[in-house]
Amino acid sequence: MKNEHVARGEGPHLGDLPLAYRPKPGVRDEMVDGNGLVRAPWRNLIRTLSASGPHELGERFARAERYLRDAGIHQRDYGGGPSARPWPLSPFPVLLSEEEWSGIAAGLAERATLLESVMADVYGENRLVAEGLFPPAAIAGNPRFLRPLVHVPPRGGHFLHFLAFDLVRDPAGRWTVLADRTEAPSAAGFVLENRIATNRAFAGLYDRSTVERLAPFFASFRDGLRAHLGDNDERVAVLTPGRQDPTYFEQAYLARYLGFTLLEGEDLTVVDGELLVRTISGPKPVTVLWRRLMGNRADPLELDENGLAGTPGLVEAVRAGAVTMVNALGSGLLETGIVAAHLPAIARHLLGREPLLPAAHPVWGGAGAAVTEGKHLIGPALSGLPVFERNSGFRKAEGQSLAGDPSAVAYPLLDLSYTPVFEQGMLISRPLIVRAYAARTAGGFRIMPGGFARTAAGEEGDLLAFHEGGRSADLWIVGSRPVPAISLITAAEQRPVLRQAGNLPGRAADNLFWLGRYIERAEGALRILRAYHARLAENGHAELPLLASLTAYLAELEIDTAQPVPDMLIANIDSAVYSAGNLRDRFSPDGWLALTDLQKTAHRFREKVAAGDDAAHAMTVLLRKLAGFAGLVHENMYRFMGWRFLTIGRHLERGLHMTLLLAHFTHPDAPEGADDLLLDIGDNVMTHRRHYSVDTTRTSVIDLMGLDPYNPRSVLFQITEIARSVRQLPNSEESRMRLRADMDRLEGALAKEAAGSIEWSRFKTLEAELEAFSDALALAYLT
Amino acid sequence: MRYDLSLEIGSDYAHPVSTARHVLRVVPGTLADRQTVRDLSLTIDPEPESRRDFTGFFGGQASGFVLRQPHQRLTIRLSATIEVTRPDWRGAEASPLGDLREALRRTASVAPESPHHFLGPSPRLARIAAPIAAYAAALAGEARTVHEIALALMHRIHGDFRYDPKATDVETSAETAFALKRGVCQDFTHVMIAGLRSLAIPAGYVSGYLRTLPPPGKPKLVGADAMHAWVRVWCGPEAGWIEYDPTNAMLAGEDHIVAGFGRDYADIAPLAGTLKGLGGQNAFQRVDIAVAD
Repeated sequence: MKNEHVARGEGPHLGDLPLAYRPKPGVRDEMVDGNGLVRAPWRNLIRTLSASGPHELGERFARAERYLRDAGIHQRDYGGGPSARPWPLSPFPVLLSEEEWSGIAAGLAERATLLESVMADVYGENRLVAEGLFPPAAIAGNPRFLRPLVHVPPRGGHFLHFLAFDLVRDPAGRWTVLADRTEAPSAAGFVLENRIATNRAFAGLYDRSTVERLAPFFASFRDGLRAHLGDNDERVAVLTPGRQDPTYFEQAYLARYLGFTLLEGEDLTVVDGELLVRTISGPKPVTVLWRRLMGNRADPLELDENGLAGTPGLVEAVRAGAVTMVNALGSGLLETGIVAAHLPAIARHLLGREPLLPAAHPVWGGAGAAVTEGKHLIGPALSGLPVFERNSGFRKAEGQSLAGDPSAVAYPLLDLSYTPVFEQGMLISRPLIVRAYAARTAGGFRIMPGGFARTAAGEEGDLLAFHEGGRSADLWIVGSRPVPAISLITAAEQRPVLRQAGNLPGRAADNLFWLGRYIERAEGALRILRAYHARLAENGHAELPLLASLTAYLAELEIDTAQPVPDMLIANIDSAVYSAGNLRDRFSPDGWLALTDLQKTAHRFREKVAAGDDAAHAMTVLLRKLAGFAGLVHENMYRFMGWRFLTIGRHLERGLHMTLLLAHFTHPDAPEGADDLLLDIGDNVMTHRRHYSVDTTRTSVIDLMGLDPYNPRSVLFQITEIARSVRQLPNSEESRMRLRADMDRLEGALAKEAAGSIEWSRFKTLEAELEAFSDALALAYLT
Repeated sequence: MRYDLSLEIGSDYAHPVSTARHVLRVVPGTLADRQTVRDLSLTIDPEPESRRDFTGFFGGQASGFVLRQPHQRLTIRLSATIEVTRPDWRGAEASPLGDLREALRRTASVAPESPHHFLGPSPRLARIAAPIAAYAAALAGEARTVHEIALALMHRIHGDFRYDPKATDVETSAETAFALKRGVCQDFTHVMIAGLRSLAIPAGYVSGYLRTLPPPGKPKLVGADAMHAWVRVWCGPEAGWIEYDPTNAMLAGEDHIVAGFGRDYADIAPLAGTLKGLGGQNAFQRVDIAVAD
């Protein structure tokens, strides 16, 4: 047998499979057919892999893992504990032929169009109810039916713009729709990440030129949304439920990838029917909103009153026709089992024939149709969660009648196909579900040539196996010819575009400002603590007046020197990570990684570091890590509005830190050694030695650390930098002009001071002035 | 009967509110063969930065408005002249409870008047507490008409409950009010709706006004100094909707002015809002309805 197949050129077979893969007997395998032959789309890949040893493959797959880890995707770590991504990657892709996929794509495009018609009817004339195709309960009794949206025509004429479909292959080999995702489909960003990671694994090994690319799909979706924009000031935004959402990272990733602004409900406001984002240069119109927030949570005033993540008045903006919702509010109704149960009849009614793609529709208990034979899955009729999702509420039943229970639906228990999954150095056979995506473009619905493949954790071949989680994999659509390379930049984008100074939402500016402050606050604390522990190590005990003075000083900042790595230091670092976590769409993965590394190290040190030398060393390590983060930001961050708020935050905090220090340690009662301590904390020992031929005196210290315009740690330097950044902020309003004038005046006054005539109390006043500036800045820009 | 209606509704705030958005649902509309509204005037103080009026799903008039100047008091004043005709309820044509399911099945509509919207659950009546269901079940019977059951439940609530404005507030659940056997019109209404829905009888919430001073020789009705609420029940395809006032143990009549319909309070709250401020507020309402000459 074996030799015959090879002789006929049918390619590799069982004996050649990488990592000794063996399909599960008695099920349909995506890669290997019933005769033990590798299926056509996989042949080139398997031929190539057969040539490389298991060690090399392991190395390559580890590379994919590393990519995801470096990109920060493996963790939903927003400052809390590390928790794994819900669907970790199996770097071994799932392959389908372009020919088979084009059939699926045609079926999905037809289905998307069908769903659009159903939406239009549900929120319009309700002919489907009148004609008996929908029971009234499917709509009037459906919590996802949003009454305020009835008879509100969608801006641009369409309800649905971005959809997903969960597909499985039935035992007969046909792809079957299992669930329509119409509300706010997730994981498209993970598809992109999976593609990049998987490509890393196969780089240089396998010619991927025949694999369909994803970028053109996203480009046409993006252009489709942009076509809804009017003048230059209008924008597309992604509405996120916030960082606590399990797919927040993915939302931030997509926003960054597509060049849309990532917003939360509170960033938005509605005035006279217009949807506006609060930015640092005032409110700007948002005319396309891609929401990842459940429709009923989108407006606490007109929809679910508990929807506090939403925007009061959003429905008014929709009613006014001011915003294109992607998708329309209320589209979640189509996800419920009770609706799915009636779609086959509706499809036949609207199409006049069977749809191109079969669907595994449930039976609704309220229809009087009993399910009495065979195994099936029973679950809630009004939940939008697909059967296979954890918490979907579906359970296995056999021979159970549903009749008379309108709250339940029953799905057939499908046998799924299996695909190879790479796990712990092995290729194992696991059940497969594929999530496909449809986007509305100028030319109608377009289907992504790829998708989010999911494999179950367990070997059991039914949908409930996915309740225990599993892995995701990239889906390759393999053609017979090389696919032309197209980048995401389109002709429309090649025109020069004037920078929009107002793109920065006020909340993002606020987070950047506070990120700057927390980072600098942590640095200030690290420097003092290092100085403290170095002297403690030298001296052997904490009784020294200078150490007691330091302890008192730090106590005012709620830093307890009795703790080698004080809680407040950890809290400052955690706060910096938290602020940065709100800005994931604005940060490079490198910066984020450096910052979370600092956080992890600090937490680890807290457990094991002892006072004295050990602590001084620990502070040096943390300072170096912090400098690493600051350096990455400094080298890589685009110098625009966001940068300015970060800069102002850092310099303001450093200015506060220095004024406080100088006020405390240049006080006449300051203990012996205070002057040298100040130089040490300010990293100015060497500079002082070069600049002043005298021993350290109070005057020389004040001159260098208070008034020197070239010393990056002096008070004057901070104020100059703040003033420079403030001058570059949008400043149309009176309060903003005043802010600028105040800073200029402060800078001018301090520049004229002489070190000999200035005393500790002046720094007290300066500190108060900087605090007042911080409040005024927040009032003018950040609220 | 012709009435001059005046309403003052709003809030005092302990601290200045910088921005606020509200939806107001107090304006009575004209209903064919029932009420005609004339000389309507609505003022909002302070003057909103924007105001947009719209019609809610169930037909009630609503205004969405935004205030963006610091204020410590919001006052809305409404006045109108309203001609009310006593509704001609057709209780005699009500369906027996045993026929209701089939009648619903044949009502293939989800238009705002369709009973299917009122079978629950709804925002404030998401789950029906077992004690309320048992309370209603005791009055039901397949052979009794929906009208008979609704009347019986209305009288039972009126008899068992004490009108007590201090016992509950606008957030009180039907379950709590039922346990207390106290409350105001909103609570009575919610309990009655919950009881009817537990019997699969479509029941909804009516928000409106009640004549303040009784005709000579008649007692003053309860709940007339603030906005009022009562129940509407779908009594079958022939009888249609009938309205019951459990606070006063009567059918809605010439003394009842409708402001709007909903599934429960959440759909038709007179003044809903989200605001930015330090909190602490005291809502007020004053209603006066005089017979016009």
